[in-house]
Amino acid sequence: MTPGGAIIEVENLRKSYATDFWKKRTRVLDDVSFSVGENEVVGFLGANGAGKTTTIKIINRLAFPDSGTVRLFGEDGVARFASRRRIGFMPEQPYFYEYLTGMEFLGLCGRLNGMGGRETRRRAVAMMERVGLAAAGGMAIRKYSKGMMQRLGLAQALLHDPELVVLDEPMSGLDPMGRMDVRAIISELKSAGKTVFFSTHIISDVEALCDRVILLDRGRKLAEGTVAGLVGNEVQFIELVFSSPPGGEAGPDMPPCIRFSRAADDLVVRVRNVDDANLWIAKMGGRGSKLRSMTQVKPKLEEIYVERLSGTAGGEGRDAS
Amino acid sequence: MSSGSPGPPAVRGGMLRRVLSIAANTFRETVRNKILYVILAFALFVIGLTWFLADLSMGELTRIIADVGLTSIHLFGVTIAVFLGITLVSQEVDRKTIYLILSKPVPRWEFVAGKAAGLSSTLLLTTALMAATLFVVHFLYGGKAEPGILIASAGIYLELVLLVCIATLFSTFTTSTLSAMFTLALFLIGHLSTHLVRFGGQSKSAAVRAVSSGLFYLLPNLEVFNLKNGVVHGEARSLEALAGMVGYFACYGGAVLLLACLLFERKDFK
Ligand SMILES: Nc1ncnc2c1ncn2[C@@H]1O[C@H](COP(=O)(O)OP(=O)(O)OP(=O)(O)O)[C@@H](O)[C@H]1O
Ligand SMILES: [Mg+2]
Repeated sequence: MTPGGAIIEVENLRKSYATDFWKKRTRVLDDVSFSVGENEVVGFLGANGAGKTTTIKIINRLAFPDSGTVRLFGEDGVARFASRRRIGFMPEQPYFYEYLTGMEFLGLCGRLNGMGGRETRRRAVAMMERVGLAAAGGMAIRKYSKGMMQRLGLAQALLHDPELVVLDEPMSGLDPMGRMDVRAIISELKSAGKTVFFSTHIISDVEALCDRVILLDRGRKLAEGTVAGLVGNEVQFIELVFSSPPGGEAGPDMPPCIRFSRAADDLVVRVRNVDDANLWIAKMGGRGSKLRSMTQVKPKLEEIYVERLSGTAGGEGRDAS
Repeated sequence: MSSGSPGPPAVRGGMLRRVLSIAANTFRETVRNKILYVILAFALFVIGLTWFLADLSMGELTRIIADVGLTSIHLFGVTIAVFLGITLVSQEVDRKTIYLILSKPVPRWEFVAGKAAGLSSTLLLTTALMAATLFVVHFLYGGKAEPGILIASAGIYLELVLLVCIATLFSTFTTSTLSAMFTLALFLIGHLSTHLVRFGGQSKSAAVRAVSSGLFYLLPNLEVFNLKNGVVHGEARSLEALAGMVGYFACYGGAVLLLACLLFERKDFK
């Protein structure tokens, strides 16, 4: 399915939580399967409470599924202990030992990762620099702001130069510059041959960064595919803008259109395809109206996302591509 | 981003290095905690006060210093162990700092062992400090060195480490508040268990006798670690008795920690 072999293979994950002792268990994940291939950047989308964090926790062995399996680097079970050295993980809203400084924390991470002292030091300095915390390395984490903690979370995930990076909402709580940094870091990871799996609510980031998207809805996988595959490469409509014809309103014998509206001095016409557009141009030209602009409009992932998620209330999940 | 060298990454050091790193970090956490210094300052103050207490009372003054001083070391040690011990694991779970540790190549039992070892080192430091203070006060007052104070303090230290193991066990599955209450309850029961068994053993019902002796083996018997009377009344403790104490400590503490690790192994973090 993916070139270069799968790095993460998630199969039929089911997970339920007992909210109250005598109440029914609530199902959080229902038969979720997907895989992430080598050197892919995969986005994990879904509404609040869809089960993204739960899935990511199961991948990192912080929670255990009721049934189903997770294979990392083609291994599962006991062997996964060794493979954890190859993963960098940043949890949702990471929280640190507040009595440590940023650099002390990275030092601890290096020792737990089995890195040498000098290598840890070198990488820690480089990563603090990369996430924009170079000046805060000696400051107690107690004094960090939310966004600084988020950045430190990213630095510790990348410290040991892992092959697979799993990030739970890396952009949340970051300022616009911080988000740009994280985008750049994810792109760099991709070009360095790494694999990235991250959850997010920011769809423009997914469009900009991801090779593939997995869409989760209330514990079920709703769709999986490339951004283009999900969105479809088809043109949704063509928008034509004409100057108002001197001869007045458009008559009843106009070519087919989706929508016809007036904006200031202009007529805005939405048509389905190029043939209709040509008919309109010929017709309006005959009336002395000029074509001012013509735009092909493709659907955005955001629209697909909203449509899919709102279209499933009580309905069956559909699969894309 | 520097790209990694091909092949699996080299892993420096093994289990011991990770456990020691977690222990060192826990030690650092506790010695950067202001509560520790408040309790410790108060404890040293009280131990210093025994000097004046001895002046006020009748009888064998140095004995009173040893008695009150060792009791202070015991109670303040328990306070430190419980205050710092309850937050040991449960706070890491509550605050989710544990996510960042256990997602690294660190088996869960190493985390539990490292936390317990770290707190035990803090207690070693504080108990040693209190014991040394008492030793000096006693020496200055009586003009005679009393090594029994140090031996009795070592017994207290073993009891504190056992309490840390128990607190660790509770904090792997309950909240900090509940684990503090359970640990304190076991501390009290642990000093009364010999009495409880004596009462139970006098019962006519065989079932009650069986249950009471069962409980005796299940609950910690913390009186084992009480060497105070030996010092105060000048009774020497035999080497065998000390070895028995250490053996009991190793078996009971080991079993409790093992249970904590097993419970922790399949825990879901919320
Ligand atoms: N420890 C828990 N006990 C009970 N229910 C839980 C627990 N953890 C998660 N849940 C439930 O599981 C569901 C999924 O939660 P999860 O955190 O995975 O969502 P998410 O997709 O990450 O949402 P968000 O976008 O808000 O981060 C939610 O309905 C939540 O209430
Ligand atoms: Mg989440």
